[in-house]
Amino acid sequence: MGQLTTGERDFGAIILIVLAIIGIAMAAAGRSDVLGIHGAMVLVYCLALLFLLLSGAFGTPPSAARLTRYYDDPIKVGVGLTLFWAIFGMFIGVWAAAQLAWPSLNFDTSWASFGRIRPAHTSGVIFGFGGNALITTSFHVVQRTSRARLADQLSPWFVLLGFNLFCLIAISGYFLGVTQSKEYAEAEWYADIWLVIVWVTYFVLYVRTLARRKEPHIYVANWYYMAFIIVVAILHIVNNLAVPLSFAHAKSYTIWAGVQDSMVQWWYGHNAVAFFLTAGFLAMLYYYLPKRAERPIFSYRLSILSFWGITFFYMWAGSHHLHYTALPHWVQNLGMTFSVMLLVPSWASAGNALLTLNGAWHKVRDDATLRFMMMAAFFYGLSTFEGSFMAIRPVNALSHYTDWTVGHVHAGALGWVAMITFGSLYTLVPAIWKRERMHSAILVEVHFWLALAGTLIYVFAMWNSGIIQGLMWRTYSPDNTLVYSFVDTLLAMYPYYIARAFGGLLFLIGAIVAAYNIWMTVRTPAAATLALDDDSPGDERQISGATPTPAE
Amino acid sequence: MPELMHRKLERSATGFMLAIIAAASVGGIVEIAPLFTIDDTVETVSDMRLYTPLELAGRDIYVREGCYACHSQMIRTLRDEVERYGPYSLAVESKYDHPMLWGSKRTGPDLARIGGKYSDFWHVAHLNNPRDVVPESNMPSYRWLGTNPLKLADLPLALRAQRAVGVPYTDEMIENAARDAYGQAVPDSEQSSGVTERYGEATQVSAFDGVTTNVTEMDALVAYLQVLGQLTRAAYENTAAPEQMPDPDN
Amino acid sequence: MALTHETLLEGAKLWGLFYLMGFSICVLIYTFLPSNRERFERAEREIFDEDDGPWK
Repeated sequence: MGQLTTGERDFGAIILIVLAIIGIAMAAAGRSDVLGIHGAMVLVYCLALLFLLLSGAFGTPPSAARLTRYYDDPIKVGVGLTLFWAIFGMFIGVWAAAQLAWPSLNFDTSWASFGRIRPAHTSGVIFGFGGNALITTSFHVVQRTSRARLADQLSPWFVLLGFNLFCLIAISGYFLGVTQSKEYAEAEWYADIWLVIVWVTYFVLYVRTLARRKEPHIYVANWYYMAFIIVVAILHIVNNLAVPLSFAHAKSYTIWAGVQDSMVQWWYGHNAVAFFLTAGFLAMLYYYLPKRAERPIFSYRLSILSFWGITFFYMWAGSHHLHYTALPHWVQNLGMTFSVMLLVPSWASAGNALLTLNGAWHKVRDDATLRFMMMAAFFYGLSTFEGSFMAIRPVNALSHYTDWTVGHVHAGALGWVAMITFGSLYTLVPAIWKRERMHSAILVEVHFWLALAGTLIYVFAMWNSGIIQGLMWRTYSPDNTLVYSFVDTLLAMYPYYIARAFGGLLFLIGAIVAAYNIWMTVRTPAAATLALDDDSPGDERQISGATPTPAE
Repeated sequence: MPELMHRKLERSATGFMLAIIAAASVGGIVEIAPLFTIDDTVETVSDMRLYTPLELAGRDIYVREGCYACHSQMIRTLRDEVERYGPYSLAVESKYDHPMLWGSKRTGPDLARIGGKYSDFWHVAHLNNPRDVVPESNMPSYRWLGTNPLKLADLPLALRAQRAVGVPYTDEMIENAARDAYGQAVPDSEQSSGVTERYGEATQVSAFDGVTTNVTEMDALVAYLQVLGQLTRAAYENTAAPEQMPDPDN
Repeated sequence: MALTHETLLEGAKLWGLFYLMGFSICVLIYTFLPSNRERFERAEREIFDEDDGPWK
């Protein structure tokens, strides 16, 4: 925050004081409710930030020259927050997985029971890890591709720290039993309102920064970030419309009921996957992959076509979560049709990424960072194929309600989302801290293999358990009765639950290795004297004009 | 001139934003909007009753504990599901559910028709420690529910909020919410007659957790579990066959 | 004509289909418009330009 002027600091302080007062009001009004605990947390969070903000207030004012440089301070803090939530969210995930195999691991407490830590895991990784990674990289990409400094000094901090306040309130709420039980939208009304405020600020900041660009054309990565920001706002607002018991209660009831709620929920749920976990991460792919490979994207036009395909088709696909339910048949069929059509733009994106690497396979072999991104594109292709396949009604009859869904989600979450994020972080960190390379290339290599092994173990365990359980549920004896009781099918799951916890553990260890490596990279002072001629992938610079245009 | 240039650039970002909204909103509109007229076409049932305050409180506990993460409440129109769990779920059955709890994963069995299948005593024992009654179970134990007193004072507010989102609770029901919750969990108390008066003769009045000295969260949750699939008889009277018959040799 | 579930359904699906076709055509035109070729090619390469600072 060293780059803020006195006026900006004052404004920041006013925002924090207003929020702190809201915190006090929440604590007072909700003193007989869990809302009061959240009020106290808001208060403490704001006071801590106020202390940080004011403790630097009397130093030298920032030089005017800062405005001629990129604004990387929020990005640096964002990298730290991303890694914190990655480790937190994955740890809770491993714990939840272990509880399915050994149920006593909740130690008989309410806050650690599976139903409460499961949303803490999903929100921790989706919003905490994924959301921070998206905000952080979007700040980096939008500045570099627009050739413009972020449009404002204070609002990047507001967006980043405000978003983390949302994560904190949401996730602590699940441990305390504050939840709407709407999948991936569990946070209660006051956290939801706060997120809207943060998100609108994010949107305004992003558009204003884009408006400062030199080139009339907006680079395609920014399209994906824009779609992510806009559509998530629409989804979030519509799905979370609710009436609270009172302003002193955390509990609320959604305005949607029954069938309508199911459709709204999965319209939200599936597009949270599309626009939170796909669009934004494709933005990373379209910037960091060409950057790292030092090759332009295979086909820019294909990236545009797949952008509109994804933006258009995904919104129809949500109802494939509701096959054979009380949702009207035509909506199910429409969802299935568009889910299958989605394969086209999805594979176009994955293919575009892999073809970008064509001709640079030696770099993929030598550079684990690039390999992370290559694997991410591969898993993206795999899980989008699987997704379209599972959306077909008869397939869904078998897969739905089983671990197959969980395996599918994790092929996407671990193989695609997390791998593209780590690949991007390993590219981003040396760039903004002005280091020649990561502290240890070997540790990146170790992380890659831990992540890949963890993903494969996890996904194969869940594929097996899901298909086995799905088949057992519908196994009939010759005299036409069901062969297996539910408990029989549960018993068959235990070995896979143990394997999955192990796979997740490997992935978690990988994330810890990454955090250590990044920490060491940041700590080691920039060594301007480092020789350029070693294993850095920057050896063969042949970009500017020398490379022939890839065939289109 | 630079000012004009600047504005033009800004406009292109705005146009782009509008294009994204145009592309993304149509799918949702086409699929969701017609569902608000769904009442024209789906079953109309006369016997559909509301959740009593105690059952609603139990539902809120089900929501709070995240039970949806492992239990569905949606029996699909597949033969094996109908044979395992009971008649497939109808749209009308969740018409008062804010939110719906259809779920997406069955680590445990579906609960759409669990009501009346087991005794109150079984549910209490099972929630206290699932492995006492199902040795292979991996469900957490919910021992603390039996010692947590239910917050009766919040119930009128809960019913009022439910009415605000469209559930037809009457003023009388809202006014008596706390009394009715007490009366349903404490049979033979002076409050219990009001519950059946307001919510119908089929309402179960019972000492759900086996203790009548106080009303606990266990009472509420068991009352809710016992009413699942019991709000209307419509599904049991529905004669349409499940749509997919799996191959018996499979 | 009364706004029943049936008519709404019909309208939504028909209108949705036309919308899909119209939208696809617009996107295709935009993508393959010859005058856009140059800006796409420039965008493709521009991320490699290495001066480390904003342009203004």
